[in-house]
Amino acid sequence: MDVIEVKNLCKSYGQLKAVDHISFSVKKGEFFGLLGPNGAGKSTTINMLTGLLEKDSGHISLLGKDPVTDWEYVKNRMNVATAYYPLTEVLTIRQNLRVYGRMYDIPKREQKIDEMLKQFELNDLQHHRVITLSSGERTRVALCKGLLNDPELLFLDECTVGLDPDIAEKTRRILKEYQRERHATFLFTSHYMHEVEELCGRIAFMNKGKILKIDTAHNLKKLITKMTVSLGIKEGKGALLKEFLVAEGVEVIFAENNALIFEVPSRGEKVYKIMNKIFKKGFKLSDLHIQRPTLDDLFIAVARGKK
Amino acid sequence: MKWHRVKALLLKCYYLTINSPDRLCDMFYWPLIDLFVWGFASFYIKDISDVNVLSALLGGIILWVFVWRSSQDIAVYVLEDFWGKNLYHLFSSPVRFSEHLLSIITFSFFRALASGTFMALIASLLYSFSLFSFSPLVVGLSIFLLSLFGWTTGLFVTALIFRFGQRIQVLAWSTVWIIQPFSCVFYPLSSLPVWGQWIARLLPTTYIFENMRAMMLGHPVDYSTYAISFIISMIFFGIGLVVVHWSFQSARKMGMLEKGD
Repeated sequence: MDVIEVKNLCKSYGQLKAVDHISFSVKKGEFFGLLGPNGAGKSTTINMLTGLLEKDSGHISLLGKDPVTDWEYVKNRMNVATAYYPLTEVLTIRQNLRVYGRMYDIPKREQKIDEMLKQFELNDLQHHRVITLSSGERTRVALCKGLLNDPELLFLDECTVGLDPDIAEKTRRILKEYQRERHATFLFTSHYMHEVEELCGRIAFMNKGKILKIDTAHNLKKLITKMTVSLGIKEGKGALLKEFLVAEGVEVIFAENNALIFEVPSRGEKVYKIMNKIFKKGFKLSDLHIQRPTLDDLFIAVARGKK
Repeated sequence: MKWHRVKALLLKCYYLTINSPDRLCDMFYWPLIDLFVWGFASFYIKDISDVNVLSALLGGIILWVFVWRSSQDIAVYVLEDFWGKNLYHLFSSPVRFSEHLLSIITFSFFRALASGTFMALIASLLYSFSLFSFSPLVVGLSIFLLSLFGWTTGLFVTALIFRFGQRIQVLAWSTVWIIQPFSCVFYPLSSLPVWGQWIARLLPTTYIFENMRAMMLGHPVDYSTYAISFIISMIFFGIGLVVVHWSFQSARKMGMLEKGD
């Protein structure tokens, strides 16, 4: 069953097309990523899905229902967590969670709040006002609220911003466990590519309001056709090596006496052939690093408008 | 509309009030200052002219607090969500706008009741003035009708906030004071210039205060004026609801719920 189904969704602000005829679907239990540079249309898409923003046209179905006509059914089974908008800052963490606990009519509220606070290591801070918390602590509070009603569908918009590596790793573990145990569906946006790669089964890559490609991280990385090779060169023969590589038709992007960086196609055996030729020519290396394509490369390429 | 969500929002208003000295202070501080100023002013007027305006002024100032608090609280509690960019969480939850409004209106009424009771108590202690020298029915009707009009002005200001954002937030505090001179709180309708009297007759508040002064002069209660006040209030309240609903939908279209401005 498709938990999220979006067809030809559009939203414009005046002349600006924030979201331009996008279509995608997310299956039950899937961790789906929305990636793209700032202004790509990720948050606008999430805001339309969560009912914060009215769409101009297109079709949205959540949990098999129309979120406008079946508002009650859908909203009680979903939730949102974001690092950008804190909960009410004048209220303490516990007061905020009590308010949202009542909103979602959660049974055994206090017990559930205790569980969430323990899970996100916020017990000691529960009586602190949100305004006094660090950005990482606020992010954890947002996640507590996001999971408070045991949602079947959770929208996570940059929800790990500001977390230290230890807490970020724990958070990812909690989210993965939750997804596995409840077979919950996640729509996830982040600027941390390793996180997207670790969590998301499929990723939709967005730019300028359009979805450019939907695929797994593995397949998306194949869109970057070049890998980067960095060499440390002994005996100061950098210039000679550069001459040799250029003659071989290799694209050298940096060269000095003791170091050289070049790019080769990431598919096929080109890199091994080039390296063999370098060794056969008698060049001695002090260091070798081969950088395979990452989602970061794809992200940067899209952000800089490369095809 | 679900009661558990209204209760959740009432709880939020309660926490906002007890956690914020500003919200606690404005329930008691300004009403107290008003009582002192108008009470002592009326003593002075009596000294120099032998005219006793104490009851009329105190009755006016205590009843006016229901318009003032009801109107200002609705707008300020909506603004709290704008300031804290809290509309994002609020309206991505199952909360409906009608539930949000109902909770704020209910909470503002209890705050107005607390302010009014506090003022009545202080007026009784300082000036031996009792609001219940009028019949409880008259007091109850007056409080209800004045609150209803306060909610209405609060709805119009809320509509403007959802349409234009925080840049017009000054209206949250100032709107009732634009209406006050034409509501004949402290003076009779005849004191206003003719054009002012026309405006005053369109306000439901005028009929309440005119009736209050008439009763002080020994006239019987004129319930027809309450009926006129109620009809005008309901017309304005109905228009207010339509306008605020339209404004909220417009905010959803423009993305104001997400941005908070």
